[in-house]
Amino acid sequence: MLQLRRVTYTFDVPLALLLLLTLSLFSLFLVLPLSFLILRPLTGLSLEPFLDMLRYPYLSVPPIGEWYVISERGEYKLLRLLGMNFGVVLNTIFIASAVTVLSTVIGILVATVMARYDFPGKTLLRIASIMPLLYTPFVGAFVLYKIFGDGGLIGSLMLSLGLPVAVEFAGIAGVIVAQTIMFWPIVYLNTMASMLQIDPTLEEQAENMGSRGLSLYRTITLPLSLPGIAAGAGLVFIFSMEDLAAPLAFKVRDVMSVRIVENILASGNIEELGTEVVIVAGLLLLMALGWFFAVRHYVSLKQYAMLSRGGRWKPRVFKPGLLVSGLIYFVVFPLVLFSALPQIGVFLYAFSESWRGTLPEGFTFDHFVAVLSDDNVVRGLRNSVIYSLAALVVIVVIGSTSSYLVSRLNLRGISALDALVMSPLAIPGLSIAMGLLVLYGVLFKDTPLDPYVNPAFLLVIGYAIRKSPFTTRAVFAGLQQVHKALEEAAMNLGASRTRTLFTIVLPLIGLNLIAGSLISFVYSMSEVSTSITVGSLNREQAPLTYYIYDYLTSGYGGGAFIHLASAIVALMIIVQLAAIVLSNYVLKYRYAFLGI
Amino acid sequence: MGELVLERITKYYGQFKALDNVSLRINRGEIFTLLGPSGCGKSTTLRVIAGLELPEEGKVYLDGEDITLKKPYERSTAMMFQNYALWPHMTVFDNVAYGLKMKGYGREEIRKRVKWALELVGLSGLENRFPLQLSGGQQQRVALARAIVVEPKVLLLDEPLSNLDAKLRVRVREEIVTLQRKLGITMVYVTHDQEEAMSISDRIAIMDKGRVVQVGTPKEIYHKPTNFFVATFMGRSNVLRGVVKSVSDGLYRVALGKASLYGMAPGERPGIGEDVVVVIRHEAVRRALSGEETNVLEGTAERVSFIGLALQVKVRVEEGVSIIGYLRGDEEVEVGAPIRVAVSPEDVKIYPFSALED
Ligand SMILES: Nc1ncnc2c1ncn2[C@@H]1O[C@H](COP(=O)(O)OP(=O)(O)O)[C@@H](O)[C@H]1O
Ligand SMILES: [Mg+2]
Repeated sequence: MLQLRRVTYTFDVPLALLLLLTLSLFSLFLVLPLSFLILRPLTGLSLEPFLDMLRYPYLSVPPIGEWYVISERGEYKLLRLLGMNFGVVLNTIFIASAVTVLSTVIGILVATVMARYDFPGKTLLRIASIMPLLYTPFVGAFVLYKIFGDGGLIGSLMLSLGLPVAVEFAGIAGVIVAQTIMFWPIVYLNTMASMLQIDPTLEEQAENMGSRGLSLYRTITLPLSLPGIAAGAGLVFIFSMEDLAAPLAFKVRDVMSVRIVENILASGNIEELGTEVVIVAGLLLLMALGWFFAVRHYVSLKQYAMLSRGGRWKPRVFKPGLLVSGLIYFVVFPLVLFSALPQIGVFLYAFSESWRGTLPEGFTFDHFVAVLSDDNVVRGLRNSVIYSLAALVVIVVIGSTSSYLVSRLNLRGISALDALVMSPLAIPGLSIAMGLLVLYGVLFKDTPLDPYVNPAFLLVIGYAIRKSPFTTRAVFAGLQQVHKALEEAAMNLGASRTRTLFTIVLPLIGLNLIAGSLISFVYSMSEVSTSITVGSLNREQAPLTYYIYDYLTSGYGGGAFIHLASAIVALMIIVQLAAIVLSNYVLKYRYAFLGI
Repeated sequence: MGELVLERITKYYGQFKALDNVSLRINRGEIFTLLGPSGCGKSTTLRVIAGLELPEEGKVYLDGEDITLKKPYERSTAMMFQNYALWPHMTVFDNVAYGLKMKGYGREEIRKRVKWALELVGLSGLENRFPLQLSGGQQQRVALARAIVVEPKVLLLDEPLSNLDAKLRVRVREEIVTLQRKLGITMVYVTHDQEEAMSISDRIAIMDKGRVVQVGTPKEIYHKPTNFFVATFMGRSNVLRGVVKSVSDGLYRVALGKASLYGMAPGERPGIGEDVVVVIRHEAVRRALSGEETNVLEGTAERVSFIGLALQVKVRVEEGVSIIGYLRGDEEVEVGAPIRVAVSPEDVKIYPFSALED
């Protein structure tokens, strides 16, 4: 009774409508599709697809292949790291685990150096370590293949240094290396943010009690950084599972992401979609959720969304000793610079005439000209812009509404809403894409909304749901700076909730909304999971990222087409950079948003 | 207009009871102050009046109308927030005009009224500044102007002086009183500063842990604190343990160790033989006249400090019994010298011992 009175008093009509709107959008376009994804295979009355999960290619025990091969090449030995094939499901888990462990180690190492030491070249390192977050759909992984893969630069480099062995990575080993390079900065940035937030007196107190050096680090610094580490590791695991680029570049077909995409691309209508890939997409979702709840113990989704501003105090910073200096210049520097290679490589490909040998040759703008006069690309670009703008309308509504509710409503269960609206960050995009495809493919079969006829609608929805958390978080950050009393003062003077929202709240968070929208828009433009699956179903309506994928993989893939794809991605990087710089300037964030 | 009644208000934040059965009757046109230590529920009371918090129990009446369930924007209560809550994206003029716009006044009327309000608070000429371009004192005045310009039935001020420096505080509080008298508006004023409360209020409600413990005029509160909390909250006092020896005609004789004093019990009346606490204000303790015998304590001067007009002396009566009092500034006392101090029986306040345990 009392609770009811409280609810009716807190909820004026506008608030209730806002809540209803948010909940229905998320139910229709996230919760229902994902539930359907999980439940539909169960309604098939057939165990067969589930039993498939226990057979090749989904499961392959004992594994096939070799961990590594050494071959004599006259003057030198070639060490080729491969990794064995355990089948689609176990491969995915194995790769994600390995990438998570490696990324976490590297991320913590670099974060420690950056957060606690002051040394010449630190700024360079800081910039280089953020470079990998510039999103390079597909092409980045192909650059890494050029470096680490068959006959790659690493091997050549070792030989030219006079070493008797050359190393190259292929298959699963290559995927692990590439993904580690792509994803470790996520751990680094999150850990760094945590470390900068540690109250220096906590460490000083421990020091005061006789703890120092490694023991201080192990007993105080690391445990206090755990939320950041967990957030980073949590994301990396999920990103790795749904990544397509590295498996494609290193020609690994037996992972979940590739199976899902290949199957959708090959299907002409909803019946042709194999039940086993629906199961795979559901499994991907369950694995991500399971992992997410495991790390959630340490971290709330808030830290997933964007990195905090760093400490309010002056963090403790030291001059490195000899040992640490060695570590910095011989381990950390090369690692970090190496990780910026995909972005650098994209530009090398985009501006070079050819890159067959060790170094790229010839300088040209031809690829940009070619790309911008390619009908497919131009149409894809136009489609992407239209979808992203349409998605942005939805995103602005979702983002401002849900963040307002979460920050202002003092009701039980409101944190569940928070988790719901931020969850797209931790849910594999391919599962969302598959869920939307299956649900709306069945519901609207042979209507204008059938994704096999008009994928545009689902693309907009997919972009909106997946990229809304960036805006939500930016607005939320703004709302936290707007003291509640500012709204209360308005209501106290006779302004209704709606008038308060429009005259007080919106003007004060306007910049946050704009900055968040900018980021959401840019990431919509470079969205991959929905774009190449749902987007492939009608080429007339396919977005830009689909054509990048198409250039790299389809009949006309390889050869010169990587230059063309790179030219597109180079343009995307420039737009991303501009958006990030601009929104950081507006929001005064110390770090970039995490791109997904 | 402006008679406000709170009837048995109880307010929880989660499990925490912030207001416990609070009842108040605030007369039209008076300055009514809620006084109490930080966290006792003063702001919460104001927020309940303004409709910013919904109480779990109880009712709020304004001029006889039950407004408990009315939304903040449906009540004629204007609040001045502790941090002022000025809108940073609006000029001074727009801040003050906001409430008038919400009431649907015409442009000309709004201009006239804003001008009037700004003149009243002495801010004419600053209409086009933004809040961040103003000093703390000026911001405070804008907040005040914004609240009074809508001519509310009740003006609610939440620690309006707490963000000002000490000198400004005294001046502004006098201005607020002048303004209130001029407008004849009912005012509920929140502060934790007893001197501030004493100097401006018609009546004061003392709050402690979400409860109203005493309501009265400043004089009543000061001279007849009905419970231990109020007695020790107002001014600086000696607190001593004692045992009631005898009672006659409301005059209690209380033993403090070997010595004893006569005193009064303004609240609950203890019985003979009962343990009590005795509260004596520092300024009520003076040097005994030669020949004075009743209510005199003899001891040695343990500490003497010169504090301007007076000498503050701590007198050690016996093991465990010391009392602080004031002597005239020109008197001479040596540390360690014997000294006799006296206190009149009406200044010796006796409360049941259980009051200490709260
Ligand atoms: N929104 C809130 N949620 C939980 N507790 C609160 C909230 N607001 C106030 N309180 C608690 O209620 C008590 C009374 O608060 P308040 O009315 O602000 O006290 P005062 O204004 O007298 O200092 C305090 O203990 C405070 O911590
Ligand atoms: Mg308060």
